Amino acid sequence: MSRGSGGGYDRHITIFSPEGRLFQVEYAFKAVKAAAITSIGVRGKDSVCVVTQKKVPDKLLDQTSVTHLFPITKYLGLLATGMTADARTLVQQARNEAAEFRFRYGYEMPVDVLAKWIADKSQVYTQHAYMRPLGVIALVLGIDEENGPQLYKCDPAGHFYGHKATSAGLKEQEAINFLEKKMKNDPAFSYEETVQTAISALQSVLQEDFKATEIEVGVVRADNRVFRVLSTEEIDEHLTAISERD
Amino acid sequence: MGDSQYSFSLTTFSPSGKLVQIEHALTAVGSGQTSLGIKAANGVVIATEKKLPSILVDETSVQKIQILTPNIGVVYSGMGPDFRVLVRKSRKQAEQYHRLYKEPIPVTQLVRETAAVMQEFTQSGGVRPFGVSLLVAGYDDKGPQLYQVDPSGSYFSWKASAMGKNVSNAKTFLEKRYTDDMELDDAVHTAILTLKEGFEGQISGKNIEIGIIGADKKFRVLTSAEIDDYLAEVE
Repeated sequence: MSRGSGGGYDRHITIFSPEGRLFQVEYAFKAVKAAAITSIGVRGKDSVCVVTQKKVPDKLLDQTSVTHLFPITKYLGLLATGMTADARTLVQQARNEAAEFRFRYGYEMPVDVLAKWIADKSQVYTQHAYMRPLGVIALVLGIDEENGPQLYKCDPAGHFYGHKATSAGLKEQEAINFLEKKMKNDPAFSYEETVQTAISALQSVLQEDFKATEIEVGVVRADNRVFRVLSTEEIDEHLTAISERD
Repeated sequence: MGDSQYSFSLTTFSPSGKLVQIEHALTAVGSGQTSLGIKAANGVVIATEKKLPSILVDETSVQKIQILTPNIGVVYSGMGPDFRVLVRKSRKQAEQYHRLYKEPIPVTQLVRETAAVMQEFTQSGGVRPFGVSLLVAGYDDKGPQLYQVDPSGSYFSWKASAMGKNVSNAKTFLEKRYTDDMELDDAVHTAILTLKEGFEGQISGKNIEIGIIGADKKFRVLTSAEIDDYLAEVE
């Protein structure tokens, strides 16, 4: 008779459970939710927008140092949802990889190539016992020269998909339901519509109206491919536009 | 191979002589999306379900059937990320063979080397087996060939095979319908009908993938428009 559960270690390292599952990977997903932040990304006709909550747990903290939105290169952005320390590691490695790519091949690393690289690294952590999976879901955004605006989601299991819109974090499923309804007929959102859809999705799912200092917004646009984090004033404009619209 | 901290294998024998990690890996494969392959007299077809987690996913960003060399293609059932690793390693092995012998790698050789990698991960320190089974379709001097490789690293040549969720129904269906003198087109129709058997929801060119290789020895993945045409013929 076989010792079914592999000696009880299937929950401690990434080996298979009797049902063929990887518990460590599933726990990594739970760690993403435990950060209690929700993020949303929306891809429009010629722009991509990502939004996340900005929770500053202590008034004494320097607010400008609390961020989940990171430029990887001038043209690629990454929104990391989950464990902050793991996010910083991922961002550091991604920045290094993107810079080496530019040096080695002479052109900017495309969005999907970066997303694949992140996902392949995550896969290694699911197969080798010596490193645990990272507790981070990464939303990568940029404008691709051939395919236009791109939004990719990379998770601890090593999956990566391109998305028309997606979400990560605590209210991931509610947000995806909301976005599925909005994107059902393949709308081609303009820049303003893209940003406002992303922000209003977050407000609707969390059932609160935000102040500009409580969210972070990052965008890339086809007419200005640089990845930009919006300033508080710009976020305010969008919030006002949303509340006037409703 | 073998990670520094873990100089011992995680896949060890149980008292009854079984390697349970491999069995669990097969369970992971069995809960993956159905895929199948059919060897015809003049070619091979492989196909798979492509069910995406949400309508928000851009289905053009996902391709489950991959090309290993111009005349060899592969599909999987099980864990997508593990599949990407094997595709990368196999492509490199094929290229190294070509560099050394200045000719394209025979299908059997590539399958053997890929299977060897999968076996290594069942024995090396600090790693777990791959949670995928592969169906490798190729056409070389020995004609059309179809191989299935399991997480254990064992591989067999098949006339037709299926893997994943609906494996037993699919195999029964294939056993009834398979004939040795099938043409490639008939094989594609049979593949579609087999997928349709266990398909939940409306089958279309957007939620299945089909790859074919014929006597021209060029493996290619059908576009969703071509799949829709075949679906219309099958109706």
